[in-house]
Order: sequence, then C-alpha cells, then structure tokens
Amino acid sequence: MNAAGTNMAIETKGLGKRFGSTWALQDCTVRVPQGRVSALVGPNGAGKTTLLRLLVGLRAPSAGQALVLGRPPEQSEEFLASVGYLAQEAPLYKRLTAAEHLDLGAHLNRRWEKEVATDRLRALRVPLDRPIGTLSGGQRSQVALGLALAKRPEVLLLDEPVAALDPLARRAFLSSLAEAVAGGELTVVLSSHLLHDLERVCDHVILLAASRAQLCDDIDVVLESHKCLVGPRSNSAGAVFDVVKAVHTERQSRLLVHIKAPLTSSAWDVSDVGLEDVVLAYMGDDGSVTAGPLSLVGDER
Amino acid sequence: MNQLIWRLHRQQVLFATAALVVLAVVLAVTGTTMAVHYHSALRDCAATRSCTNLPDELFQGDGFIIDLVSATVIVPLLFGLFWGAPLVAKELEEGTQDLVWVQGVTRRRWMTSNVSWTLIAAVLWGAAMSALVSWWRGPEDILKGGRFGVSFDITGLVPVAYTVFAVALGIAAGTLIKRALPAMATTLAGFALARAVVGLWLRPRYFSPLRQLFPLVNGVSGAPSGAWVLSLVVVGPGGQIYDPLSPAGIPTACHAAFFNNSAVSCLAAHGFRRLVTYQPAGRYWGFQGIEAGIFLALAAGFVSIAYLAVSRRDA
Repeated sequence: MNAAGTNMAIETKGLGKRFGSTWALQDCTVRVPQGRVSALVGPNGAGKTTLLRLLVGLRAPSAGQALVLGRPPEQSEEFLASVGYLAQEAPLYKRLTAAEHLDLGAHLNRRWEKEVATDRLRALRVPLDRPIGTLSGGQRSQVALGLALAKRPEVLLLDEPVAALDPLARRAFLSSLAEAVAGGELTVVLSSHLLHDLERVCDHVILLAASRAQLCDDIDVVLESHKCLVGPRSNSAGAVFDVVKAVHTERQSRLLVHIKAPLTSSAWDVSDVGLEDVVLAYMGDDGSVTAGPLSLVGDER
Repeated sequence: MNQLIWRLHRQQVLFATAALVVLAVVLAVTGTTMAVHYHSALRDCAATRSCTNLPDELFQGDGFIIDLVSATVIVPLLFGLFWGAPLVAKELEEGTQDLVWVQGVTRRRWMTSNVSWTLIAAVLWGAAMSALVSWWRGPEDILKGGRFGVSFDITGLVPVAYTVFAVALGIAAGTLIKRALPAMATTLAGFALARAVVGLWLRPRYFSPLRQLFPLVNGVSGAPSGAWVLSLVVVGPGGQIYDPLSPAGIPTACHAAFFNNSAVSCLAAHGFRRLVTYQPAGRYWGFQGIEAGIFLALAAGFVSIAYLAVSRRDA
C-alpha cells in the first residue's frame, strides 16, 4: 500500500542485475499501481528486458528486490499463475498449431480460458490448425498474447510485443490488448522503444535509461509536472523546478523542467509538453541521458 | 505436462519404436531359424558324436546379422544424442523456455516430468533391446566362449544402464551448453570416454581374478569354458614365466624338440604348465551388476547437475 491507499502491483527497490562486470539494470526503483497499463520505454540496452525478466522470475536479481503483487518472484504455482509474460519475439513451438498451444496451456495452468482465447483468435482470422511456423509475425504475436491472457493473470508483462509487426498488425495487437484490459483489474507493463505506439493504450510510464529508472508515474501526472519554459537566458533552477533539459541561445533559454511547486515567476513563458518531448528530454536527443536533473546540455545545442 | 511432452517428442518416440520393431523382426526371424538349426544340429551331432564343427556350421551366412547385433552397442549413445541432448537445449535454443517456464507449472516440475519420461523411455528401450540381443546371442555365447566378449556390452543389465547414462549425460550437456549441436558433440565424447575408462581400466578390477595352473597340452588353452581370460602364460617348474623369445629358460633337453614339433609335450614333461589368470563365467551377473551400478550412479550425478542448472533462477 502506498500513501494514497492504492495497491501496488509492482514495486521494486534498488533492483539491479549484473552480468559479469556490466550492470544491465541498476538501482531501479519503480512502483506500478494495480490496474495501470504502463509503458516501459527507453533506448535499446536500457535494461527493459532485464527488468521484465526479473519481475517474472526468469532471472534472479543481483541487488535490491522486486515485489510483484506483494511477493518476490518465485517458483511457485501461485506466483506463476498470477503473472503473464510474453517474451520478445513471442516464442512458440513452431511445429505445433495455435489450437495445440491452447490445449497445452489448459494442461499447464489451473485457470485457463480456452473458449475465450479460441474465439478471439477466430475473430482475428488466425488459423488455429496450422503449425505456428507457417503463420505471419502478426498472427504469431496474437497467438502469444492469447496464451498470455488465457490464464487470466493479474499482472501481464509484455516485452516489445509490437516491435516486429507492421503498422496494421501493430494496431490490431494494441486494440486486442486494449480490449483485454478494459474494465479489468489487470495490470500491464508493456515495453517498447516506440513511445508513439504506446500512448494510445497506456496511462502510466516507466522510463529506463542508462540502466536506471529516470521516470515512473502516471502519464497525466508526468504531463502535469513537466513544462516547457522560455525566458531570458538563465541557468537557474532551484526550489521551484528541476531542469531536465536546457537549450540556450544568445538571449534566451528554453528549458524543459520538472515542476516541484507552483510556478510564481512571470519571467517565464510556460507551455505544455507532450509525453514524447519529456521522454526524449530525459534520454537526451542523441539517445544518451543527461546525467541528472540539474545538469545542462551545452550551449547552442 | 505429460501431454506437452508427448506432443513435442512423439516423432522421436515413433522413430525409436519403428527402429526397435525392425530389430525385433530381424532378430526374431533369424533367431528362430538359428534355434531350430541349433537344436537339430545338437541332435545330429549327439548321434554321430562329432560336435566340434557345430559353431561354424551354425553361423554360416549370418555375418550381416551378427554385425547388426554387435552394432547395438552404439544404440545407448543414439538415445543420448537424440533424446537427451536436445531435451532442454532445444527449448533454450528456440526460446520456448520463456513460454513454458512462465505457465502455471514450476520449472522443477517441468524438469521432473521431462526427465522422468525420457529416463523411463530409455529404460524400456534399453531393456527391450538387451532382451532381444541376449536371447539371440544365447546359442552363440554357449558355443563360442561365453558372455564376457562382445556380448558383455550388449546383453544383460548394462545396455539399460548405458542408455540411462547416455540420456542423463545428454540432458546435462544440453542444459549447461544451451545449444543442441555442441551438446550432442559433448555427449558423444563423454559417452565414449566413460565407456572406455570403465570398460578398459575399471572392469577388470571388479573382482580379483582367479589364477590357476593347467597342464600344458598342445592346442588347448586350459581356461575354463566361458571365462574371461585376462592373461595366459607358460611357467616353468620354479614358477618363472617362460619367454618364447628367449631360449635361456628352455631346458636343454627340449632344445631338439623345437625342431620336430614336440616342444609342448617336452616342456610339459619337464614340469612346465600354463598359468591362466581369469574371471570365471559364473561372475557374469556380478560384473553386469557392478558395471550397471557405476553407470546408473554417474547418470544420477548428471541428472542432479541438470536439475540444479534448470532450477537456478537465471534463465
């Protein structure tokens, strides 16, 4: 429970994973309230896959801890039943058909909605009786999503589910997902480096960059608390806002800031920003990350 | 779980069944013919009292079948290569562990079901093959020097133990190496190494061999029938080993005998005897039991390693 009394579906504290001497994920502290559809964004190699695999228990943390639905990811049937995971590239048995996958799921899970899943795939015109290896990428993703949903998990973790899909299949996949989460208690974390795709279905965002969580909040809160300020040249930051990114010209400064208290100064021209602007500002235009909220990107950039 | 395993591996099972059926048919047909020949030949030779040629008469024209039966020595390895090594490695190679390990079945249970079914199948196939081969080779083993030769590795308990070992080794290699082809190569090398070390170095040491002196008779080894002869030397009256290349040990009285083919009887007359070091035929089951035990213990070790590797939380 957090202060607001909302149940946290996912909570990590200082979570880290090291492979050899490199940290794939470091000091990651995120909280996702129950029922949110969270966009996990960040550049390639930011640790998105590692975070998801730690949450589902396919990897063990090197530091910190993760709680999913209040307990650490573990090898127990209760835990596995409550979490759905769709790995990158949607792994399926190539020689088996979609129908056989649904049968297998029924044998491997106590809770399994075979009828619902079958009807969904039929509605999407996914052939149920052909080996998975002969299906298109979009159809495979739909089968994999169907399998992940059929066990009715409380938390669904999707790793780059739309990365390999064409725009049409991408749209179909995301509307399938939107249907599945509508009205439910299902919490979803959906990773992608294509923020644009996620804005339609997500109401929460986690930004990973340079192996760390830079941002984790509801999207409307993020948009509320980030503004673009334009005013006389200045590096000032302080009690009222943190500068995420600054662009200076001879006479004026353009800042993307995180507001901490109501803006009183009238020296600034304040305007709203889009989620993509915020995310790119944290990542830095070149995909690298500004070292911290107060650091400034050099003049005349 | 069981349905998944069957669905994923039924091709391998059907293939192995087909191979076993073919072997069974070939051995049943030739074995029955052989048994008929054997019994009628026994009757004939008992009547005419000339049984010495029996072995040669009996196996004329069966060279290919004999080779086929001897070749079953590699069947346990095939199970290791095609059932053991890909079991976990193929899942890891194709990424399907990310699908199956996040269903409502713990990894430990997944592993238990997979490993048990594969081992059960290995025992069944190994036992069926061994039973067929043991039955087929029965007459030959009686007539031609017992079950410690080629027969030892393809009859009795050890084919079952070898199969279980090969499968366990394959599973462990696949789990640790995570790719099927290198795992198969490792299984091949590991199996050959284990069989060579145990067969050549360890096996003669299971029981201390018997040493016995036999009279020196031309053309007769003296070793008891069906025994595993480890060494066979001629010793002089003082127990010194006779070296056929050094004339020093030969009594002068016998020097001339070497030129008229009566050396053996001359040496025998001067107190030379044959010293045979051997494992008697009756120890066959003892040897089988110990060797099977060794390979089953190794198999248990490899299964544990595979278990630990899969239960490790980094997949």
